Amino acid sequence: MSILQKIKNTVRSRSIHVAYVDVGSCNGCDIEVLACLAPRYDIEQYGIYVHNNPREADVLLVIGSMTPQWVDKLQDIWEKIPEPKVAIAIGNCPISGCVFNRWHSYIEPPVAKYIPIAAQVPGCPPRPTEILNAILALAPTLFNDYEEKKQK
Amino acid sequence: MKKNVDVSIPLGPVHPCWKEPVRLKCETSGERVLRTEVELGYMKKGIERIMRGRPWQEVMFLAERVCGICSVVHNMVFIEAMEGISGIAVPPRAAYLRVIVNELDRVASHILANFSYCYTIEHETLGMYLLNVRETVLDNLERITGSRINTAYMIPGGVRFDLTEADKAALLADLVKVEADMHRYVRMFETGPLIALRSKGIGIMSRERAIEAHAVGPTARASGLPESDLRLCHPTYQKLGFTPISRTEGDNFARIMIRFQEVFQSIDLIRKCVDRLGEGDSIRGGGFCGAGEITYRGEAPRGELTYYIKSDEYGRILDIAIRTPSIMNIEACAHYMITDATSVADVTSTFISSDPCIACNER
Amino acid sequence: MSTSIIWYLREFLRMEWLRTFLFAKTAPLVTPPYFKDYPLPTGNECTACYNCMMICPAPGAIEVLRHTDHWKPMIHRGHCIRCGLCVEACPEDVLWSGRVLDAKRNDATDLRSWYRLTVDDTLCMRCGNCAVSCPVNKQADPSLASTGTASSDEVIMKIEGGRVRVIHEEKCTGCKTCENNCPNKAIRVARMVEGIQERGA
Repeated sequence: MSILQKIKNTVRSRSIHVAYVDVGSCNGCDIEVLACLAPRYDIEQYGIYVHNNPREADVLLVIGSMTPQWVDKLQDIWEKIPEPKVAIAIGNCPISGCVFNRWHSYIEPPVAKYIPIAAQVPGCPPRPTEILNAILALAPTLFNDYEEKKQK
Repeated sequence: MKKNVDVSIPLGPVHPCWKEPVRLKCETSGERVLRTEVELGYMKKGIERIMRGRPWQEVMFLAERVCGICSVVHNMVFIEAMEGISGIAVPPRAAYLRVIVNELDRVASHILANFSYCYTIEHETLGMYLLNVRETVLDNLERITGSRINTAYMIPGGVRFDLTEADKAALLADLVKVEADMHRYVRMFETGPLIALRSKGIGIMSRERAIEAHAVGPTARASGLPESDLRLCHPTYQKLGFTPISRTEGDNFARIMIRFQEVFQSIDLIRKCVDRLGEGDSIRGGGFCGAGEITYRGEAPRGELTYYIKSDEYGRILDIAIRTPSIMNIEACAHYMITDATSVADVTSTFISSDPCIACNER
Repeated sequence: MSTSIIWYLREFLRMEWLRTFLFAKTAPLVTPPYFKDYPLPTGNECTACYNCMMICPAPGAIEVLRHTDHWKPMIHRGHCIRCGLCVEACPEDVLWSGRVLDAKRNDATDLRSWYRLTVDDTLCMRCGNCAVSCPVNKQADPSLASTGTASSDEVIMKIEGGRVRVIHEEKCTGCKTCENNCPNKAIRVARMVEGIQERGA
């Protein structure tokens, strides 16, 4: 492993820019992601910045149960994120559709059908600590050796 | 006639200021915004269609997930509507516990709305202060109900958990802390000259226009319509001697200030409820849901919430229609507050000041 | 404008602010004990009464599965919404979650449920799928599954005189197998739940 790659690994694990996109949730997971910003949890002390701008993001948090209106738009957003990138599903909705996955609903879960999902945080909604722990647990391995893996 | 629209600026659906997807199309002439159009439909899940044919114990959770921010009031209005249909009486202790949880949720929701506004006008310090106070409020909600957001606390005939003595003491201690902190932050907001530059006299909606637009909740009360508060019609609030508050300015500043004032009012209501908890011992009265039809209204943090329910003899929902407050408030905001705004930069802050909830709106 | 700067200076020179700014540590990320987390087994024996499955509001969240010699409820993460109703409805206290079980014992609260069967005669085409598929019927009358006709009156419902007759409604466990197997959605199971408190009884 080259030194440059080592430096990149270290830097990338400590500076994660997050964008979140709501594809039809009940708002509960939205505000739990927002609560991570609060001084109680202080997501920024770990170098995680919530920007909500896909063009400068590394991690896309997908929230919500995938309404048909978002099918093409979510893929557009996913393509706009520069490499390396991952998507994390927050809450039950992107995983299974939660309580909305019944007859007559308009939703089309899971989100994994449309974009590659790297990790899932179950819960309705998950606690901020759970979201934070999931992102922190992923951070060191998320973009590890990205360039070397790409060359292979 | 000369065309005076220069450019149509779309805001959203993914926008740093919006927490949820919504699109605003602003027609501008230079820096001046002439009119705005709201484009909705990104979040439609069809909750009312899922609810049909289901018993209350499933619809209760769906009603709660109409909106994650004000989930308690959706639960409360749905359950009270079902009680109204079936004639189930609620023990006094359970009624007061419901009000406590509802007011805690209202405090959390109002603080979140004000946080969003402060964040939108880039006053992040105050925003983070407010978000930290909200955590304290949510702690108490969690201690009583067991979860932070979707609490599932009320069932027909009562509530699920009792308030223990230890939790009561912790609740009262936290309320003192929240009140002291909030007084400081309100003074910061009220006297901050830079905040005044971004808020005072911007997005004005007069009393006549608020009536015309059917504005509800804090948005209407900031324009001088105190009678729009439906807590006046609720029997438990009537026992507590509830009087609504209102302001007359009708601008962004008034809409945020009225939420701050309502936070203190809610804290007072919680204290009164805690004092009266000793009136009863029972927290669940029992009783089955039956057949009937009802239109029931309640006051959500954002305004008037209406449930129309028709149920069959086994308590299953045959027909349901929900009218959420954001529907009226978003229209009022787009048609009356943002017309003739002096700057595009004010569009986002004015829109956020009406506390839009898109998940409520589209369901 | 100058007053604003003074205001902020005063805000940042408060002892409390300085102390928190210099020495503040974020509290460790802990989950409080009163949080209703995913239900976990207490060790009591499950009797497979399916009360938890019947009350669960989320699709596919809980299943009672048979292991070699015992039954065990299984929670599916990603489906469970952590409402705690299964903990409250269980008569044997098999599951626990947060303080739900303690509150249930202290307040003597419970959830009682009844099941009602309704058959819409205009939709029913007398195929008998409901009577054959019902798991309670199978136990009460094993010959039902092979022959398709019930010999005893101990079953929940049977075809009599060309139409479905519901005999023992109180035996219904609310599993909705009949509803799922009905080709015309003619039979409906209504689950009626009542929240009660038996204090001092």
